[in-house]
Amino acid sequence: MNGYGYRLGAIGIVTTFFIIIFSTVLMPMVIFKPKTTTSANDYTVENKTGDPIRGRRIYIREGCFYCHTQFTRLQDREYGPLVKAGDFNYETPHQLGTERTGPDLTNEGNKYSAEWQKAHLIQPRALKPGSIMPSFSYLSEHDMNDLVVYLQTLGNKREVKAYVQPPDEYLPTTLTGQELLKNKHVNTSGDAEANAGRGIYTQDCAGCHGLDGRGNGPNSISLTKKPSNFTRPFFKQYSDEMWFYRISEGVVGTRMPRWNLTLSEEQRWYLVAYLKTLQKDVEETVDDLSQVNKPEQIKLPKLSNQQYEPHHGGH
Amino acid sequence: MSNLLDKFLSREEGSASRNFLLSAVWWSLWGMGAGLFAAMEFSNPDLVHNIPQFSMPHLRMWHVNAVAIGWLSMGYVSSIFYMVPNLCKTKLYSERLGNFTMWAWNLVMVAAMGTLLNGNTEGREYAELGAILDVLVVIALCSVTFNIVMTVAHRKVQKLYVSLWYFLGSLFWFPLVYIIGQRTFVALPGLNDAIVGWFYGHNILGMWFTTVGVGMMYYLIPRFTQAPLYSHGLSMLGFWGIALFYAPTGTHHITQSPVPEWLKAIAIISSIFLLVPVLTVLTNFFMTMKGKWQMVVTDLPLRFAATSCIFYLITCTQGPFQATRWVNWYLHFTQWVVGHAHLALLGTFSFILTSAIYYMLPRLTGREWQSQGLIRAHYWLKFLGFGLMMTSLTIAGLVQSAGWAMGIPVDQWVITLVPYWFLRSISGVMIVTGQCLFAYNIYQTLFGAASAPESPPKGKLKEVAA
Repeated sequence: MNGYGYRLGAIGIVTTFFIIIFSTVLMPMVIFKPKTTTSANDYTVENKTGDPIRGRRIYIREGCFYCHTQFTRLQDREYGPLVKAGDFNYETPHQLGTERTGPDLTNEGNKYSAEWQKAHLIQPRALKPGSIMPSFSYLSEHDMNDLVVYLQTLGNKREVKAYVQPPDEYLPTTLTGQELLKNKHVNTSGDAEANAGRGIYTQDCAGCHGLDGRGNGPNSISLTKKPSNFTRPFFKQYSDEMWFYRISEGVVGTRMPRWNLTLSEEQRWYLVAYLKTLQKDVEETVDDLSQVNKPEQIKLPKLSNQQYEPHHGGH
Repeated sequence: MSNLLDKFLSREEGSASRNFLLSAVWWSLWGMGAGLFAAMEFSNPDLVHNIPQFSMPHLRMWHVNAVAIGWLSMGYVSSIFYMVPNLCKTKLYSERLGNFTMWAWNLVMVAAMGTLLNGNTEGREYAELGAILDVLVVIALCSVTFNIVMTVAHRKVQKLYVSLWYFLGSLFWFPLVYIIGQRTFVALPGLNDAIVGWFYGHNILGMWFTTVGVGMMYYLIPRFTQAPLYSHGLSMLGFWGIALFYAPTGTHHITQSPVPEWLKAIAIISSIFLLVPVLTVLTNFFMTMKGKWQMVVTDLPLRFAATSCIFYLITCTQGPFQATRWVNWYLHFTQWVVGHAHLALLGTFSFILTSAIYYMLPRLTGREWQSQGLIRAHYWLKFLGFGLMMTSLTIAGLVQSAGWAMGIPVDQWVITLVPYWFLRSISGVMIVTGQCLFAYNIYQTLFGAASAPESPPKGKLKEVAA
């Protein structure tokens, strides 16, 4: 073995080591400068209220980023718009996070009311049964308010351009979607069609979603994940295809079944026509047990054994 | 005055290594205990109420820092202080400087406990320590480097054994990585902060825990098996392979964030290339062990070392596989990754450090281990406890992956994880019990009535010729 050969290799590799540090640490600082987007929140400059900046420091102090991430990915459908590189320009230290024990907070702002957020910080399990988030009841009133203000700024500047979309196979962009539309003979905006859909709704959906679509059917009491309230203005943005997809494939993780196993395509389109009529400008909330639709007592006539089994015997 | 100086900054041979070793074990109890406490809060979130110091995120910060900077790093410095003079057939350059470093390091740990549990953090994962502590850590690391470089410069043997390459390499680049990675005095914009952060977050593992740990394996395995190392050529290939491929892998932690694609590509490719040095290193160990595997039955330190090698194989085949885009798409953000991190730091490097401590302590103090039974109990508690932890975290991770991938709201599947949190708490109890038995054994060995202070080491624990 000759040492000289090693020495040459060693010099080569130490040089490479520094080139690597240069190219993966220093070079990105110089050439990767994303342009700040309009959706970025500036947490570096103290503004007059000063609250969210202090709230962000409390977010860091309490180590929220160990369980909550702050970047949405393509597959995170329920966490709102995707992030762009420029959104993070004011985020020092970054709060991207690396592990999610709880939900992503990228677009948490205004998802819930400030009162809800505060109550949730004080006792998470009161609002989200089964949650394992620690209680932050030890935070002072001042700290807690600032933290909530910070949470409400998350993603507040991200404009929603694309709304909830069904999977591609329900859209006219694919062959299956075109086939689906070709077979659709129901005018989903018509009154007669909506009326036809109401019959199907009363029979199949009202048990959970309630007679007036407020999610207050008799079954709703026993369900952990409550049925949707169709009076929410949110549902106004649902396209016909989105309604059709939801009815057809159900909702994973809830008791909402796949109605494509039971209802024909035509029946489902009628149902879409009816569901589109239920939205109100302000959500009608159900906050009292007395408001839950109670099943009507069914009065059956008293039947004798003979009446009950009319074909019994030797007729 | 000089008496006091000799007491606290002793010049006695091996004292720096011994003091570092004892500090490491001391902080391991705190660190692992905090981990167990945090794990119990997962299965019972209302375990403590209104005490900010015991809030889960604060415990997690302290757990990570205590086991990484306290237990593992201090144990590593202890091993380096013991192994390097032995390999160079000389004395440590300055025991006094070594002991000074030990005090500085312990000061950092005490301050870290005080600050992190109160949430005084920089908010950067794995770089939570405040500015003053960062400076202290760098001073401590540099004085260790200086001490070791001077020891090697005064060596009595010409040839550098491969362990020395690993130790010198680590001590050269780890202070560098630490200084770059802390970002204490710079404020980079968000994503650049993340890029540098993960360069550091991954390389504290790759260029410190891995390289020193592998160096320790190279030292210990030939000594335990009394067999020459299988191949010195392979060992060099492994060393330079790690040096070459580890540095740029950090960005694989954020492959789904909007950082530049070329950076992700470099990170993923070099993560896969890491299989080369890993398999080289392990081939070398397993070929050295060839025909000697029955020794793990009787030789307990070797059993720890061999287990560590096998965990190293598992963790390093998991790693490149997780770094690839599609697997990362599915597994990222879940407890699977937490399991992987524990496999590396607890399974691999904690085991090799334990093995080294079992080897070094009798040679440093001249006392034999008080109880072989406690060593056995420590091994089985730690091994089975870790197996349980790994299994529960991996399954929990797969449940979470399915949840994220299918877009199911968290509050619907969070209750399905309860059994796995519970199992993890049980595994934590086992691991912490094992570590307490270990500490008790050390205490009994050093101060117990039965240990004869003057008795020279006997049996198979022969003193390595100095």
